[in-house]
This record gives sequence, structure tokens and C-alpha cells, in this order.
Amino acid sequence: MTSSLLTPSDIEIATRAADHFTRIYYAAYDSDKRLAELPHFYRPTSSLTWNGKPFTGTEGLLQLVVKMPPTKHEVQSFDCHPIPGAQPPSLLVTVSGSVTHGRGPTGNPPKTPVREIEGHPRVFSQTFILVPDTTAPTKVGEVAKYYVGADALRFVG
Amino acid sequence: MSVSSASAPVPGSKAIAATALRNAGLIDRDAPMRDATDTPGGRKGKLRSGRTSARISDLTKDRPMSNGTRMHPIRLSASTGSSDSISIRGAARPSALGGRIRRNAVSGTGSVGSASQIPVRISTKPKAVEAWRELVQKRYNAEAKYLNLDSMIDDEVVKKYNLTPPGFGGNARDAAVIFKLASQLKPEVQTLSLANNNLTGVLLTQMHKYLPGLVNLSLQNNKLKEKREVSMISPRKEKMPNLRELVLTGNPLRENAIKNGQYAVYRSDVVRRFAALEVLDQEPVSQISFDAPHASTSDLPVEKPSATTFPFPMGPSFVAGIDGATFSDFLVRYFNALDSQRETLVNAYDPAATFSFSVNTTIPTRAKLSGFHTSMPNQRKLIWGDWLEVGSRNLNRIGSDPEKMLSNLHIGSDKIIETLVKLPRTNHDINGSGEKFCIDAYPVPHSGSMALLTTVHGEFTEPSTGGIRSFDRTFMLVPAPEGSRAKLNGWNVVILSDQWIIRCYSSHEAWKAGPLLVQALPKQEPFTINSLPADQQTALASLPEAQRNLVVQVCAQTKLNARFAVDCLAGNEWDLTRAIANFNQVKDSLAPDAFL
Repeated sequence: MTSSLLTPSDIEIATRAADHFTRIYYAAYDSDKRLAELPHFYRPTSSLTWNGKPFTGTEGLLQLVVKMPPTKHEVQSFDCHPIPGAQPPSLLVTVSGSVTHGRGPTGNPPKTPVREIEGHPRVFSQTFILVPDTTAPTKVGEVAKYYVGADALRFVG
Repeated sequence: MSVSSASAPVPGSKAIAATALRNAGLIDRDAPMRDATDTPGGRKGKLRSGRTSARISDLTKDRPMSNGTRMHPIRLSASTGSSDSISIRGAARPSALGGRIRRNAVSGTGSVGSASQIPVRISTKPKAVEAWRELVQKRYNAEAKYLNLDSMIDDEVVKKYNLTPPGFGGNARDAAVIFKLASQLKPEVQTLSLANNNLTGVLLTQMHKYLPGLVNLSLQNNKLKEKREVSMISPRKEKMPNLRELVLTGNPLRENAIKNGQYAVYRSDVVRRFAALEVLDQEPVSQISFDAPHASTSDLPVEKPSATTFPFPMGPSFVAGIDGATFSDFLVRYFNALDSQRETLVNAYDPAATFSFSVNTTIPTRAKLSGFHTSMPNQRKLIWGDWLEVGSRNLNRIGSDPEKMLSNLHIGSDKIIETLVKLPRTNHDINGSGEKFCIDAYPVPHSGSMALLTTVHGEFTEPSTGGIRSFDRTFMLVPAPEGSRAKLNGWNVVILSDQWIIRCYSSHEAWKAGPLLVQALPKQEPFTINSLPADQQTALASLPEAQRNLVVQVCAQTKLNARFAVDCLAGNEWDLTRAIANFNQVKDSLAPDAFL
């Protein structure tokens, strides 16, 4: 086990990457062009679970999202660590937020009781491992190009 | 292409657009931009070349205006950069066009940094908007998607109509007019240069709204001085997600930082305020990039998300790639120790491990609708302060605070324990009913070997109040190496990374296995005799109650009206099952008036 400590620069770069990633990832997910945009983040080796159901790779991702209702995510909290052990490090990103599916409360049938929870936003928890693609060409300044190596999502509220 | 301002030349500086365009292979080094102002018989050539002489000649003669009037601009040009030059425009002839566009403005453009502006103006009149439109359009290179608004004060159009560019008397609203006009250009502007315009952050607050797609931006040689002015340009919520390149060379913010030996701090302060900056002041920014969607692929027609149901139900916990006993030993031991003896967890972490906790204080909609906050006895006693004071690393909140970003990430097992013991006491009921926890775990490649990505969702009680919170926990676990402190202390797996999200209580019903709904289901009223029309109810009143109940059941299941239901039952000796079976045989031949 390596004990090389992370530098402030590693941490700053990781933080910025997570900020950027969460913005563009959920924008792509919520977009009308989800099916064209979301697969870019994945690779054939990526592992996913969606509420306990496993999928593999870009194909698996497509299989998962092709019949997923329209979404609107709101990121309320996120955090990111460079995972100790490799350079450039993989990143562990956790996100907590809310997600509305379909038309939200306005899509509920008439006379739906006010206390009915269905149709209202759920709380989601999503964990990503972002992995450097050592084969991808990089531009000047780019530490590396990263992709989603693993993605674990649960509705938790 | 030269972009150095006549009034504030910066040797060796280049516009960002030039860099971007050269990088894209669109222009040769120092090739002039196509001058969109070229008119048949008019001046040809570079946008800037020869402008000084041209302008001086402009100043010395009357220019015919489109409406036939003439005006006599009084202008002592600042174009030579002499420190005592000022320009006074539009002050003389209120009857001329200039007077209608704007009122008096005296702009000092002499010494950099002491520009005293005394704008006296009323509003941007429609004609000024048209004049600005003319300027914006002629300055646009549509092919390169490059809008060059360098040195607006020196522009022919500005002089012709006595405009007050932002930075020279114009205010944030005037700037917004320009950005709005720029937003109407087709194709969408990608590169914008606002070099040499005396601009401050407050003048640029509307830019991101009108030009959200900006990729390259030069603010070279302006008056940005404070970090917060950068935040005005790129607000925290959006952070100009498309901006790749920014030039702040020649602004006091940068030049003072260099003078004070704070260049690295300056760069990190600026970079942090943009979501995806790759190049700052022509130096690459160290960053991680993603295969984000590209414009070219995004233009392909794709099917819009339109499903109205979920493709898969909520599944149970998913655990793969680890022996069940080893895994449950770890979890039970970890959470027991977390609740009772946090110090002993020092051995559960790798010596280089990382830990942080994040607090999500948002009240979940479904929990609110369910009224947990009031129906559960101790929820009102919970206070976030006990957690927040130890240092939440919710990057949504602290992302722009570099110190917290670093200090709230705890590296190394000793540091981690120091933090864990400061956090409020917890009680995880892991020996109770399993339904309150949900675990997904599967192997992922890590450093040439495998690690176990583990997420645990659940709840804990805070013993100090009895209130209950929900949490999400993510561990990266690896096998404890032989001879390691973890292994010697009986931990077969060791934690490499640990992120803990603490949030308001939500019910574990959220992950109860089974179908998931997108929308609420229509409310089904139970079918009773009262569901029938009044006349049918009356007709049934004479039947014995037992038969009446059978009729109602047939109506409920078949949607037959009361008369046909009675016939159907009577023909089947008042046997419900036979009546329904008979109905199913003949239902396709029944007339619509047989039904309710």
C-alpha cells in the first residue's frame, strides 16, 4: 500500500473536476439529448448499479436510461476525494440531491391528495469513481481525461 | 493581429481570440481579421491598422449623418496615449443626433487607473441601441464566431453617434444592451474580446446571462481589481460552464498579485470561479477533463426522454465480489465501534486513507409531505450546528473557500479519528431490522488490483436528542495487507476512502424493493351501489339485499349497467362466477347501452 500523501494541488484539481463533472453530468442527464450525451461519460468497462440493479459499460448505461422518464436533478451536496494509491489518482465523488421524474406533482391525476408523495422529488444518493483514461490524448494542462469507472445510485428519500 | 490598445499598449500581449483561432487553425499568426466594416470604396484592411490617422481625419471634418444633419464632435483624442488627453463627446449640440442619443459625458481616458467618469445621461434611447447594433454587427466575424469589442471608445460608430461605451461613462445597463445585441448574432458568439475598455466587474454582471455559450473571453487591459469582480462575471451558481479560456492580463487584479508575489494564489482564485477553465492568461490550467458531450454529436437528432414509467423496479441490496461473512463482519464491527468506541477505528483505516463528511441540510420533499418532522417525537431537537462546527465538506457550499476545501478533507488514519471523535454521538441500529439499511457493493479496479466500492444508506439516532437522521456512506475498501496494523487488529478489509453524507431523515420506504411510480396513481373509489346512477339505484331497491349486492359486484367488475347485470345474473341462477364467465363470452357482442 502506498502512503504517498496527496498534495494541496491534487486536492484542488480534484475538487474543481468534481464541480465541473457534476454540472455537466446532470445537465446531460436532464437534457432532451440525454441519449446522445450521457454515454460519453462511460466506457465499455464501466460498472453501474441503479437501485440495486447492475449494468455494464456504455451499452448497459443506454439500456438503463433509454426508457428512463425525463428527469430534473438538483445537486444539494457533493464531495470528492482523490483516492490514494495511483497517479494521476482516481476520484471518489459522492452526490446528494433531489430528482424529479416525469412531470412532477403537476403530472399527478386530479384529486391526488395533498399528502401524496408520489410524483414529488425523491432524494438520490449517487457515488462515482472517476478514472483517468491513460490512452486518451490530453491537451496542454490536462492532467488526464477522466471517465466514469463506477456509478452507484439509490433513491433514498 | 494586433490588439494592443493605443491608449494602453501592452508589449507582447495577444488577444485570447487570436490564441483560440490560431489553435483552431483558423488564422495564421498575426494575420489580420477580416474587417466587417469594409464597404465598397471605403477603408480596407485591418480593423485597427491606420485607425489613428483615420480617426484624426474624421475628427477634423464634419460628417454627414444619415438624417441629413451634421454634427461637430469635439474630441481631443486619447489615441496617442498621452496622459493628459481627454475626450469630450456629445456635449455641444443637443439638437443633433448625438444629443438625442445621450446627454453630456466627460470621460477621462488619460492615465490608466485614474479615469474619472462623470456620466450624465438619461437612458439608452432606441437610436443608441441601433447604433450599438451597428457596431456589434460590424465587429462580428461570423465565420470565426468571434466578436471583437476591443477599444470600443475608439470606434467610428461610437464617435459618429456619440455613444458612451461602458467604462467610459456607460453603465451596466449599457453593457447589458451590448451583450444582448451580441446574443442576437448568428451563429452564436464563441469568442469575445473586450480588451482595452476600462471595464470593472460591475459592468460585466449581465454578460453570462446573454452569452452563456462563451468559450473564449479576453478582458485584457481593463480595470478588474478585486476577486469579487470575477465572481460578478461568473456567478457561483453557473460558473460559466462553457468558458475554456480567459485573459485577465493587464488588470490590476493580476498585475498587483504578480507585484506582491501572489501569482499562484491569483491563478487559483480565478480558476476556482469557473467550472471548466483550461487556459488562463495564455497559461494552461492544470485540470481534469471529461469526454463531455460535443456540439457535433449533440446536433444529431436523438429520441427525447419521454417514458412515463420506470424501466426497472427498486431492487434489494446488491453485493458482489466479497465473501458475505467478511463483509458483514466489517460493517457490524465498524458501525458498532463508530457508535461506542470511535478511537478503535484507527485500525480500520489505511494509513493514507481519506475521510470527510458533508451535511445536506435540505428538507426532503417527501419527508416533509409525510410530516416526519412533527410526527416523530425528537426531530425538532436536532441541530445541524453540532455537525457543521466540525467542518462539513459539502463542496456545493464551501467550494470557493480554498482553506475549508483543504482542511475539511482528513488524510491519514490519525487525522480521521481526531475528526470522528469530535462529531456528535451516533447510534446505528445495525442489529435491528435490516430494512432500515441498504447496501450496494461491488468490485472496481484500483491500482492494478481490485477494491470494493461500498455504499451504505440508512439512519442513526443522535443519543443526545433522540432525533433521527439519515445518511449515505461510501467506502472504498481493500483487503488488509498481511502484517498491516489493520490485519494485526483483526480487520480483514481496510478503508481507503470514506465519505459520509448526513441529511435530514427520510423513511427507509424509499428503497423498499418493488415497483417505482413516476406519478401518483388515480384514486380508485370503491364501487358501491352509490356509484350507480340514481334511477338504477331506485330500480334495484325492490331486490332482496343479497341479490342487490351481487348486482353491484357484477356492475363493478363488468361495468354493465344495473338492468343488464340483473339479466346476466338471472340467466346464471344468481351465481356470480358463472355470470362473470358468461359476460366474458358475450361482452364483445353487447351494445354500448348495456354498459354504464
